[in-house]
Amino acid sequence: MLTKKLPPLNSFLSLVSRRASHVTRQQYDVIVVGGGHAGTEAAAAAARVGAKTLLVSQKIQTIGALSCNPSLGGVGKGQLVREVDALDGLCGRAGDWAGIHFSILNRSKGPAVWGPRAQLDRQRYREFIQSELLSTPRLTVLEGSVEELLVSETNPEQPGHHRVTGILLANGSHPVSASSVILTTGTFLSGSLFIGQSTSPGGRIGDAPSSSGLSHTLKERLGLRVGRLRTGTPPRILRDSVDFSLAVVQPPDGHPTPFSFLNTRTHCKPEEQLPCHLTYTTPGVERVVKDSLHLNCHIQEDAKGPRYCPSIESRVLRFPGRRHQVWLEPEGLTSDLLYPQGLSMTMPPDVQLSLIRQIPALHRAKIHTHGYGVQYDFVCPTQLSPALQVKNTQGLFLAGQINGTTGYEEAAAQGLWAGVNAARCALSMPTVSLSRTESYIGVLIDDLVSRGVTEPYRMFTSRAEFRTALRPDNADMRLTLKGFEEVGCVSTLRYQEAVRVRDSLQDAQATLQALSLSSNSWKKQLPDIQISEVKNTVMTGMEVLQYNNVSFEMLASAFPESLSRHMEFSQRLKIEAVYRPHCNLQKKEIERIQKEENLLLPHDMDYLSLPVSMSQEVREILDRVRPSTLGAATRLQGITPAAIVHLLNYVRSAELRERRKHRKQQKEEREEELCAAKASLP
Amino acid sequence: MENVDQSQSSAGATDSSCRGTPPCRFLSTCDGLPVGLADAETIFALSSGHGRCGVAVVRASGPASATALRCMAGLSRSLPPPRTALLRSITDSQSKEVLDRGLVFWFPAPHSFTGEDSVEFHIHGGPAVITAVLQALGSVPGMRPAEAGEFTRRAFQAGKLDLTEVEGLGDLIHAETEAQRRQALRQMSGELGHLYQDWTHKLKRCLAHVEAFIDFSEDELIEDGVLNQVDRWVCDLQAEMEQHLKDERRGERLRSGVQVVIAGATNAGKSSLLNTLCQRPAAIVSPIAGTTRDIVETALDIGGFPVLLSDTAGLRESQDLVEREGVRRARERVEQADLTLVVVDCAHLPSDAQQAAAFLQEHLRSVLPTQEQPETVFAADRFLLLLNKTDLLPEEQRQKLDRELRRVSGFPPVCLISCHTNEGLQDFLTVLHSSVKTLCGDPLSGAPTLTQARHRAHLQQCFAALAQYQRYRDIDLALAAEGVRLALTSLGRITGRVGAEEILDIIFKDFCIGK
Repeated sequence: MLTKKLPPLNSFLSLVSRRASHVTRQQYDVIVVGGGHAGTEAAAAAARVGAKTLLVSQKIQTIGALSCNPSLGGVGKGQLVREVDALDGLCGRAGDWAGIHFSILNRSKGPAVWGPRAQLDRQRYREFIQSELLSTPRLTVLEGSVEELLVSETNPEQPGHHRVTGILLANGSHPVSASSVILTTGTFLSGSLFIGQSTSPGGRIGDAPSSSGLSHTLKERLGLRVGRLRTGTPPRILRDSVDFSLAVVQPPDGHPTPFSFLNTRTHCKPEEQLPCHLTYTTPGVERVVKDSLHLNCHIQEDAKGPRYCPSIESRVLRFPGRRHQVWLEPEGLTSDLLYPQGLSMTMPPDVQLSLIRQIPALHRAKIHTHGYGVQYDFVCPTQLSPALQVKNTQGLFLAGQINGTTGYEEAAAQGLWAGVNAARCALSMPTVSLSRTESYIGVLIDDLVSRGVTEPYRMFTSRAEFRTALRPDNADMRLTLKGFEEVGCVSTLRYQEAVRVRDSLQDAQATLQALSLSSNSWKKQLPDIQISEVKNTVMTGMEVLQYNNVSFEMLASAFPESLSRHMEFSQRLKIEAVYRPHCNLQKKEIERIQKEENLLLPHDMDYLSLPVSMSQEVREILDRVRPSTLGAATRLQGITPAAIVHLLNYVRSAELRERRKHRKQQKEEREEELCAAKASLP
Repeated sequence: MENVDQSQSSAGATDSSCRGTPPCRFLSTCDGLPVGLADAETIFALSSGHGRCGVAVVRASGPASATALRCMAGLSRSLPPPRTALLRSITDSQSKEVLDRGLVFWFPAPHSFTGEDSVEFHIHGGPAVITAVLQALGSVPGMRPAEAGEFTRRAFQAGKLDLTEVEGLGDLIHAETEAQRRQALRQMSGELGHLYQDWTHKLKRCLAHVEAFIDFSEDELIEDGVLNQVDRWVCDLQAEMEQHLKDERRGERLRSGVQVVIAGATNAGKSSLLNTLCQRPAAIVSPIAGTTRDIVETALDIGGFPVLLSDTAGLRESQDLVEREGVRRARERVEQADLTLVVVDCAHLPSDAQQAAAFLQEHLRSVLPTQEQPETVFAADRFLLLLNKTDLLPEEQRQKLDRELRRVSGFPPVCLISCHTNEGLQDFLTVLHSSVKTLCGDPLSGAPTLTQARHRAHLQQCFAALAQYQRYRDIDLALAAEGVRLALTSLGRITGRVGAEEILDIIFKDFCIGK
């Protein structure tokens, strides 16, 4: 994958504009609005599933841009990148292409919580994404601003229910029609920018604000509940103005680990990688923040900001008297800029400068672009189905920050899944969902649609109950096969590779399992290892591999004829051996949840008048959230066990009725056939 | 035996098996899997109502039932013929100690109440035997105490109940969970509750700190000492739990019968009532107000039901430190009581019958727990009003009073008695018996031994899970954290569940997260 030559950017642009001229006369299966992490993954995924797809972005050049931090992955987020890659998404490969500083976080804490992460070269990342989109069949990219979302009139039989029919472009006279539309407008929905005491409409500095028509349609026409959130970005600092001698160097891993299952190496050579630097805030920083509070209207607003990625203002206000970390991250191989991670701020520009100069390594730093805050509307995600489709609007999908999340990886994961389902919907295939027992993407979407958000949602490993099973190393085994066989978003090439990996892993594990010796013989084979079992206990290779200080390499050198051919997977086999007993313990719980997930609750269920004894409170919760499965219902706050029994009963009797009806129909058909047969007799 | 029949008929609506925590996510299978494959776990419980009775029925259901029957009834070769009574010695499979001699039944799937392989042990009804048999069952691999209503749910899932009966099941579970909530509240307000809540809190912090270290330590300032702190907490918790699991006495005390508490003002004759009921001078009686200062407890058999009767200090404001503590304990006991006998000295009543009713109403409010809702204060099944010393009242006034009080609605049952002359005592005993019977016969009030068995099983799991933390602490923090999670889940089955959001809340409270 990495060997491919990127086409020059200008050829991409010319092709796009050529297409733009006739785009409005066409009919698409899927239209994606927005070209960020959610939008690009959504467009690519929809096209991979087979839908004729149009991606509309305000500015072609910003497609695939990293609006905030120049990095990808991390603890929890790295798991998402691996899963998006396992489903043949873009961000993993783009990260491998654009990464300039790779490291696995949490290396010492166990493979289930390893966090693959990379600093990125902004330009390379954007170029890779744009080039990928260009070479994706069935996908058209159009520069333009969406004026209006087109929806059908409500169906009198289903009040409040609409259907998406397409979009209206700002300057285009013709509507562009499509069966599915995915909105990935990020912070642009009624977005306002904040620096000091001044505010202006917009979602990102330098970009035009999006049309108010879209926001109006969502709120007024479709009646969607929205909330308001805030976020921010730090000032960018000129690299030359930083005194690195006062910061601690953070080198990358010596051997970069690629994000993608398809890559064995990264584009950047190990020795070409750039370091990061770590420095700390001082009491002076706190003083500047406190002295300038009256000049800072973003911080005074009551929209909720993220607790885990707070602005420097909220950090020093919440935890005064401490020093806080500031990471100085390169923005690219040739970039003159540094990104000070941890210094997101919204105070007036002159105060920003005096604040950063309170930090030792930045005492003479110069600001290239000032930090600013953004407040934006998000659509309460409990109004979505697990396919990320708006429940009351057939064909309308939402992904990314518009759903109240934060982070590139969270956006990419939702984008991919919304793209898959929008395409399937348009192509008259049933929608698909991922369970929280099989993926972080499933955890993310389930948390969003069944619990909603009160602050920007970010992924943590602690959100996944089955963390030991949902590891970065096995994302391909969890998702690639399913992605090809059931979802249709994975290329044959990737599928074949996953099948090869699966077969090899199974073969190797079978060999290890069959390698059964007494503990005494094991001690002879591996003299350096303390095997605690009593003398004549028979142990398999799998069991021995569970020992902390036994590696697959050691076993392979002891039994080269049967094991050395599996050396390619030595690390995965070791992880598998250690985790398997724990995963087996969880299996029962996982199966139970999956059974509940399989029990679908009808979308149009009238909870308020369901003829069972259920408290009004429970009815209202169910009516508001409309859980799509019984499993989701059990996770709702305030739902009693008794209510679950009633729901189960309702679903079961509905099934029963359905079956009876079906049988009756069949009988009638048979009788009709019989009659017809009789009639045709002479 | 009545109880058994009851639980097998009428939509299994009297699955008396268990109490403790509300069941969570109990629908182990919903898609009509073949019976037996649905849930690999085998559950057991005391299925007859509790109370001293001739025969108790302990039931087990699930794949390991046959194993349990084999090893506990000494049937190593073959199982008894299905649905046939067999008299066997019942032994503890580990200690080989003979626990009782009783009837065993084998109900192979699908011809059983739950549709799964089931066994029943019909044993002698004493609490010691029941406890021993339940503990022995708990030590059989694959067995665990049943959750509330679990037998019934399995029956439902196996299609043994008609769908029309499910409406009743839903209501049943609601009632169970409501009763459990009340019981849990009661237990939680006691010493044991404080202990479990304290552990839950500590475990939550342990988990939050480990999770913070996993999710944030690479980017944020998470002090290195965080894990060492967790090590200490885990170690302390393990020591405490080990001590607690050894201490069986406290478990016995938790619930050993219907808790009946005598409460009222000083010198109303509470201790005399206790002595009259237990027919021996268990409590010191004197005309001096404030004689009783601590709780005096005595176990009674009221018409075959076990009752733990407590006499408490008279409720009044006092300067005496000892007496004040006595009053505090008395109030605490009233809050935890199944049934409260409010004793009032007749002589203190206003002579006008209507005024007397108002006076009593006021008096009841002052005795009963302050947090009780006003409309439930006089719930008939939880309170009895005793007007004592009727011998001091003229006959005419007594009759007027009796009539007037019966007219007033919203009063608990009223008995006029005299501990001195034993007048009215027989009527009072009849009323008390029926109240206790209602409480015991109510399958939801659960069996004390079972509550203990459930607690013990969960605590043991919790204890074992903490060992996993220590084993993986330096090797694989994800697996170590899994240990703390498991511990918290096990404890959560006693005290209520803990969600990921709650852990994150602690993380953000304790640490300055911001990358």
